Amino acid sequence: MNDQLALPAELTIYSAAELRRQLLAHVDAHAQDEVCRVDGAAVDQVDAAGLQLLVSLARTLAPLGRTLRLDRPSAALVAACETLGLTSSLIEAMPERAQA
Amino acid sequence: MSANDADQSFIQEALPAFISEAQEQIEALEQLLLQLEDQPGNRELLDALFRCAHTIKGSAGIFGLDAVVGFTHHVENLLDRLREGQLQLSPDLSTLLLQCNDQIRALVDEAQHPGSDSAEARARREALVQRLQAAAGAAGDGAAAGAAPVADPGDVPASQRRWRLHVRFGADTFRNGMDPLSILGYLRGLGSLHGTVCDLDAVPRLEALDAESCHLVIDTLLDSAAAREQIEGAFSFVREDIDLELAELAEQQREAAARIEAMPDSVRLGDILASAGAISRPRLQQGLQAQAQAASQGETLPLGEVLQTRAGVGEQVISAALRKQQNLRESGNAAPADDQRFIRVQADRLDAVMNLLGELVIASAGATALARASRQPSLVEANQQIGALVEEIRNSTLQLRMVPIGETFSRFRRVVRDTAAELQKDVALEIVGGDTELDKSVVERIADPLMHLVRNALDHGLETAEQRTAAGKPPRGRLTLAACHESGSILIRISDDGRGIARQKVLERAWERGLLEHGSVPDDAAILNLIFEPGFSTAEKVTNLSGRGVGMDVVRRNIEALRGSVTIASEAGQGSCIEIRLPLTLAIIDGFLVGVGPSKFIFPLDAVDEVIENRPTASGLDGAGRGRVELRGQVLPVVSLRALYALDSPPPERSSVVVIRSGGRRFGVLVDQLLGQHQTVIKPLARMFRSLRGMSGSSILGNGEVALIFDVHSLCQLAERPPGTPVRHSTHGIQATADLS
Repeated sequence: MNDQLALPAELTIYSAAELRRQLLAHVDAHAQDEVCRVDGAAVDQVDAAGLQLLVSLARTLAPLGRTLRLDRPSAALVAACETLGLTSSLIEAMPERAQA
Repeated sequence: MSANDADQSFIQEALPAFISEAQEQIEALEQLLLQLEDQPGNRELLDALFRCAHTIKGSAGIFGLDAVVGFTHHVENLLDRLREGQLQLSPDLSTLLLQCNDQIRALVDEAQHPGSDSAEARARREALVQRLQAAAGAAGDGAAAGAAPVADPGDVPASQRRWRLHVRFGADTFRNGMDPLSILGYLRGLGSLHGTVCDLDAVPRLEALDAESCHLVIDTLLDSAAAREQIEGAFSFVREDIDLELAELAEQQREAAARIEAMPDSVRLGDILASAGAISRPRLQQGLQAQAQAASQGETLPLGEVLQTRAGVGEQVISAALRKQQNLRESGNAAPADDQRFIRVQADRLDAVMNLLGELVIASAGATALARASRQPSLVEANQQIGALVEEIRNSTLQLRMVPIGETFSRFRRVVRDTAAELQKDVALEIVGGDTELDKSVVERIADPLMHLVRNALDHGLETAEQRTAAGKPPRGRLTLAACHESGSILIRISDDGRGIARQKVLERAWERGLLEHGSVPDDAAILNLIFEPGFSTAEKVTNLSGRGVGMDVVRRNIEALRGSVTIASEAGQGSCIEIRLPLTLAIIDGFLVGVGPSKFIFPLDAVDEVIENRPTASGLDGAGRGRVELRGQVLPVVSLRALYALDSPPPERSSVVVIRSGGRRFGVLVDQLLGQHQTVIKPLARMFRSLRGMSGSSILGNGEVALIFDVHSLCQLAERPPGTPVRHSTHGIQATADLS
């Protein structure tokens, strides 16, 4: 079981800068893990800045041969991903790719 | 939304526009809901309803009004269920949705005046949300704002067009407080979005990412009936730093359909099609002949069908043209989300133009007088030309202020629905002539009297279903609001097919109240007009809706304050009809100019009954200038303007009396000179004159002199005051004496 980083309730522009630092630290701290796990259960408010951060995280991991796995995405997070056309890249595909 | 002050001020500036638009959407929502009650299952209404809710939610999202977004989201969910046919609109559901709409209205008001949201209101909202969720059958999915279900991709419905949007958001989008997520949510309000793709490669890696800069590039398909401007409108707040490609996925037919949308008004289907290039004129002729032939054989074939089968015009094109035609026919009725033809102008700007125009009319009159005095024919002619142009500008500017009365009328749908339900009556409201136009300020001020009359008709006029059936009438009562233009004024008619007015009861009440001498029976019209007398009410029981006896006289006073009149006709057992006549505008009136010493005054011409010219100045006036004169054997109370307003000029030997009618009473006003009819541009009273009683405004005469315009009703009250009460708070009091002879 990997260590998970729990996403904050507010996945928005207000927390984006701080969260970016946390994500960077998280990526570095678990540099050996193939799957980088992030827990989305607490996410209550999402905006595009928050989603962009997750995309950026996925983009960071890819060239390192690692994958992002978004666990337990909340309804708000799922809905936001769907609106922005990120369902396949952030929610559905990740766990499968993680299996592969 | 953002720490940036500039953004805050931007939102502050844009917020009023949002609020006024949201209020319109809320109004449209209400109307749609009420229409839907009559035609449940009408897919177009349901779609329009959904769009309204969506637009409110979407634009509220742009402003970060989370409470509005959150609540409207639940409403939208339920509407979606209705739209998909998973639920049928029941009366209960309709009531619930109307209540929710009230709640949205309250929330939008709250956005305007923050801090008015009480715990009680929140609890009420919470209860509504629970009922909505229960009704939608999907309690608490926990989905937050913006989480509407995504529509399935598939074939584009005929009435819609498919657009491809490619959007590269500017780096400052987030910092400017904008959220692409809300913008997409808004787009979804215009139709259905599918195939949304976010370009992952455009987003830098974490190391290189400025988390507050936006790097999103979105590509999506939108199926929507909305016009290009509407779609672009979704991006209006980010327009400056955005790269938007909006292309319609169009075949040639779709282009033709688009041309039809953009075409000038024409109501003949064939014309629409032909000028859009969808059909050639000869073919159209053929089609028309075929249609005529069918008609001669007693068949009715819609032209659209003929052209589709015979001339091979695409169904899509025909339906676009039909829609256009429909829109043209319905224009004037509420056409939600179709305001492309209008520009929004602040009312006070119009008023400012109107004011300037008044100045122009006056200045031009002055110039014309000077030109005449100069006796230079060319100058006179030039001035006449200017005068004619000014006249034209005046008329078209007055036209700008004209608004259809339909909006005011349709507000009553809800009133009728709720009031009828409360009284357990079944009432259908019919609206006729909603596109009749009149001055905006008149429309605003007529709403209250109308409301009273409508409630009165519901409360006293219309019977319950049982009573109606017993009287051999259809159980459903009918209330009609109609408007039309009639000889320079507007005529508003409120009629019902209720029990009518019982003349005997009116008479008895009038005797009892001392409004009539006991036992005297005037003619029918006079009896009916008694109900407009102060202190009159025939309601057998006082309900909380009307019947407190403060009604009809106030209604008449309000209408007369607008220089209008009201009459009533009634047939026992058949119903009543109240007619209100109003001037088209309040900005310019026909006035009657009089002089007292060097001062000039204007009476509204409608209020002048007759004039008595050049008679010996009346004697026997009291200290406040009141007295009586004899007019054809009757005693007429008169008031002297010189005394009433403490004018210093010496009275002439002979004076004239202007006989004024107000609210059924007549009185005379003593003046020095009668100067005749005068086109009067009404200007507001300067502040220092505001305390002056009996005046409603001022006007500037062609020679630059100022004339004061009387408010006939309050002048009447002044004239009727018991002697001894001061007319105004004047430092020198009333100096003129009664010694006028």
